Amino acid sequence: MTGKILHAQLHLMDRQLIDYRSGALLGKVDDVELDLSSEIPTVAALISGHQRIPAADIAEIDSAVKITPYQLNLTKGDDWVEQHLIGKIPGAGDETE
Amino acid sequence: MKKLLAVTLGILTAIGGFVDIGDLVTNALVGARFGMRLAWVVVVGVIGICLYAEMSGRVVAMSGRPVFDLIRERLGRRTGLFALTASFLVTLLTLIAEIGGVALAFELASGVNYLLWMPLAAIAVWLVIWRVKFSHLEKVFGLLGLLLIVFAVALWKLGPNWGQLAHQVTHPVPTGHETWLTYAYYAIALFGAAMTPYEVFFFSSGGVEEKWGRKDLGVERANVYLGFPLGGLLSLAIAGCTAVLFLPAGIKVETLGQVTLPTAVALGKLGLAIVLVGVFAATFGAALETALSCGYTIAQYFGWQWGKFVRPRQASRFHLIIIICLVLSILVLLTAVDPVKVTEYSVVFAAMALPLTYLPILIIANDPDYMGEATNGRVLNFLALIYLGLLLLASIAAIPLMIITKAGQ
Repeated sequence: MTGKILHAQLHLMDRQLIDYRSGALLGKVDDVELDLSSEIPTVAALISGHQRIPAADIAEIDSAVKITPYQLNLTKGDDWVEQHLIGKIPGAGDETE
Repeated sequence: MKKLLAVTLGILTAIGGFVDIGDLVTNALVGARFGMRLAWVVVVGVIGICLYAEMSGRVVAMSGRPVFDLIRERLGRRTGLFALTASFLVTLLTLIAEIGGVALAFELASGVNYLLWMPLAAIAVWLVIWRVKFSHLEKVFGLLGLLLIVFAVALWKLGPNWGQLAHQVTHPVPTGHETWLTYAYYAIALFGAAMTPYEVFFFSSGGVEEKWGRKDLGVERANVYLGFPLGGLLSLAIAGCTAVLFLPAGIKVETLGQVTLPTAVALGKLGLAIVLVGVFAATFGAALETALSCGYTIAQYFGWQWGKFVRPRQASRFHLIIIICLVLSILVLLTAVDPVKVTEYSVVFAAMALPLTYLPILIIANDPDYMGEATNGRVLNFLALIYLGLLLLASIAAIPLMIITKAGQ
């Protein structure tokens, strides 16, 4: 971040989470966890659903929040639907574009 | 030619959004009851949808974020959820009406009852969404929908008293049995049909599917300024046809068959054949749009992967929503509810959901964080604010008028 002023409520809350590498859509920022131990509060983590994304995973913030979630699996819901339902329909793996 | 085809997203959005089953029925119905005395509403609606569709397209080109993504971002989770529920239900209701419309078009062409066509129509919609490239679906249904120009040809062939039609346009007041209340009710229905929320959901998500960037602003504007006025013109032609044919005889429009009748009267079997293909393309296109929009709105609210730009298995929840919505449509239509009635209600409910859809677009279009240099100018903001007032008025008045007039009777 190059000295741009970010407003947690405006620039983080309810923003789209995107995988920095693949561009996959991963969810929304439901909450922001602040670290109040130091004099200036800093963002410790982003909360999406039940997942906690450490601030260190944030790669870029523009019109969405791009993250590199090495330790997390944020697409459990999608994976479940894929395995049990959508993936079983013929053509689910074909390119449409 | 490539540039020409690049505007098909706008044409499809406009044919599907402007001349879908809602507009076919509402315009024909209004033409038969009020003549061209409500034509001004179509013009007001075209300008409004142009303003806001252009904004939503520009937001996509500059920020890569589609409309519903931003609705939650600006309204917050709770108000966003309220907006989601309202616009999703309206879009689903419209989807039901469109599937019914496709089936009715087949009934008119084949004589076989629409209830038998309806499951086939829903399955065909799903297959196209599952298999066909986004850019192909745009082109095929956008271009086929252009056949509806036959309404304009039919109007000309009917040899109307143009002076009388012009007189109706310039005297926008109810006459005969009609009261100011029914007049206002149908004004809102026409306005709701013109500015149906799914048009911006589809248009902006389509921009993402087409991977619009800054350099595509020209394409985006061409789409809007060609597509929607064309849709508006077709709407007026439909109203004109029924104004000439049914108004003097005092016949009310209650079926899709009556909507297409003027082309048969003016142009014979050929006219009827062309209009049926056009109606099929327009309603099928709109069914695709609304089915996709059901998926777009929910997935974008929750941040799930969506879109046809990835393989179906990669956007599994998005595709699941679409399948569920199509199954729901079949179940609702199997109760033998009249699809034309569903259509009439859907446009009025659409009017209610309008402000929550369009306010966040206006806010974002003014935010340099998203838009860089391409924020709204002052004139545009002035006009957009006037429309926001109109949208609010329509959304407040819609239900009371529906109750007082017993849905326009």
